[in-house]
Amino acid sequence: MLTIDSVSKSLGEFSLSNVSLSIEDGEYFIVLGPTGAGKTILLETIAGIYTPDAGRIFLNGREITDVPARERKIGMVYQDYMLFPHLTVEDNISFGLKSHRADPAFIRGKVQESADLLNIGHLLHRYPGTLSGGEQQRAAIARALVMEPEALLLDEPLSALDVKTRENLRAELARIHEATGTTIVHITHNFEEVFDLADRVAIMRGGDVIQVGSAEEIFRKPNSDFVAGFVGVENLLRGTGSSDGTVAVGDLQIRAENAIPGPVSVAIRPEEIQLSKAPLSKNGRNVVFGRVDSVRPNGGLVKVSVDAGVPFRVTLTRQGFEETGFAPGEAIYLAFLPSAAHVYSSEEEEA
Amino acid sequence: MNLKNSSYFRMATVAVALLIAAFIVMILVGVVTHSPPAVLIECLLSEEIQFAIRLSIITSIISTLLCILVAVPVAYALARYTFPGKTVMNMLMDIPMALPPLVAGVGLLLFFGVSPIGKSLAAAGLAFVFTPLGIIMAQFFVNLPYMLRVTRSTFQGVNPRYEYVAKTLGCTDAQAFWRVTLPMSWNGLLAGSVITWSKGIGEFGAGLMLAGATRMKTETLPLSLFLNMSTGKLEYAIAAATILIMISVVSLYAFERYGGATHVY
Repeated sequence: MLTIDSVSKSLGEFSLSNVSLSIEDGEYFIVLGPTGAGKTILLETIAGIYTPDAGRIFLNGREITDVPARERKIGMVYQDYMLFPHLTVEDNISFGLKSHRADPAFIRGKVQESADLLNIGHLLHRYPGTLSGGEQQRAAIARALVMEPEALLLDEPLSALDVKTRENLRAELARIHEATGTTIVHITHNFEEVFDLADRVAIMRGGDVIQVGSAEEIFRKPNSDFVAGFVGVENLLRGTGSSDGTVAVGDLQIRAENAIPGPVSVAIRPEEIQLSKAPLSKNGRNVVFGRVDSVRPNGGLVKVSVDAGVPFRVTLTRQGFEETGFAPGEAIYLAFLPSAAHVYSSEEEEA
Repeated sequence: MNLKNSSYFRMATVAVALLIAAFIVMILVGVVTHSPPAVLIECLLSEEIQFAIRLSIITSIISTLLCILVAVPVAYALARYTFPGKTVMNMLMDIPMALPPLVAGVGLLLFFGVSPIGKSLAAAGLAFVFTPLGIIMAQFFVNLPYMLRVTRSTFQGVNPRYEYVAKTLGCTDAQAFWRVTLPMSWNGLLAGSVITWSKGIGEFGAGLMLAGATRMKTETLPLSLFLNMSTGKLEYAIAAATILIMISVVSLYAFERYGGATHVY
């Protein structure tokens, strides 16, 4: 268990303010946030590169706040690999074991084991400069894992790779996590990585952790406009909640599962809205009448804007769009379940 | 129209470049070919020039080693750490480079000749005034900024994250430096050493002030050139100049070669 307790750190333009996280043993934890959110400082503070200005860090019951990086048993992998260019892959992987003056035969065995896990056994005698990005990242992960760290920190490990390599390595990371059971903290600004890998996700902005939860929770139940925008909730409606489970948005009354009284935002994912030219029966759903504003193909998807007094954005599959068949200007019915309308208080939003 | 303009412009700039290149070659070839080969070889083999070569090589190697020894920790501190007075210190370290060497020499002469520290050093057997030791000191003082600048920018070019990773792999700060940053800085340090050494070989002004110009005692190659020129022994002066030219060309080549290969990680 990795516990970060009210940690603050200021480093010029980047900072952490009062961050608390509790990461379970063996958990795959992803920290998601835009550039400049303080994600890397968070990792480097956990790793022991920086000492926090305030707060404490615990790893498996021992306090490591002031323990030097070399004694923390925490591995670090950066986006740009940071393989030592003057050493072969083998010497990179054995680098940490040699710091501890282990027996050469033992080191060789460990290096081989770690290289096999990452499928880079055939690259051991190469220099990092001669490897592809994906191979370098595998070597960097092997170098960290060979130390059998109690936690492995990954700083945007897939961001520097091309799409295909990224997909492969993403699957590899899931497999490695499964095989080793190592606690992993992985930071990224790419939401795609979350669904394949994360047990839980934390969203960071401006040095703060603003929401923690499962990928599904974050995706469907954002607690703020920022998170909603970040995870692609395109419909954010301002309204007034009442205690009868509805939210008044303009002239519309939207039924929502968790409606709360007062000024609120309603977040509805664009793919959770159904469109129909024929009138739809309610069946407990919200049904709204509107007019198609625009239709924009986007790869395999079609993005539709509908004006229903308030603007709605709807994402359909191409097939779904062709079955419905409509054009801009036509009248259209929208339907979505109360559970698809997630409500959070607008008052919590910062100015 | 544009094309025509640009081609005239191109011709003009290239012509100036060619002219200057020709000028430089003429100057260098003029020195090297001034004496008939037999005379040049005879002078090169003379006791005086042999002495000057030896003294120059020994003093410049020692002063370069001293520069490396001092520049590596100082450059690392300036490249990696923040501490009070760092900006001022950065400027201060560069001053000897901007100073005319003669002025540096006067300062060194006063420090080692007149100041209590200099006097006690001399009393303890470390006499710098009018001795070969003074040559080493003069070269060290004047050339340290060059070594420092190259070393500092080399260390700055190594991403500190390499050291971070090394520390998570069990290294102390010092081990991370020895096992990662230093080997990664090898080309830069080599290039800095070559340029420092070649400047040491050519050092004249500060050495003249502190160590004097005594034939067969503090007579380095540049001093030999100066002494023989002023006493009219042109062939000897030419011999010293020829060696200095050769050293400059070779070390410049080495600097370009290794300095150019310095990777910025």
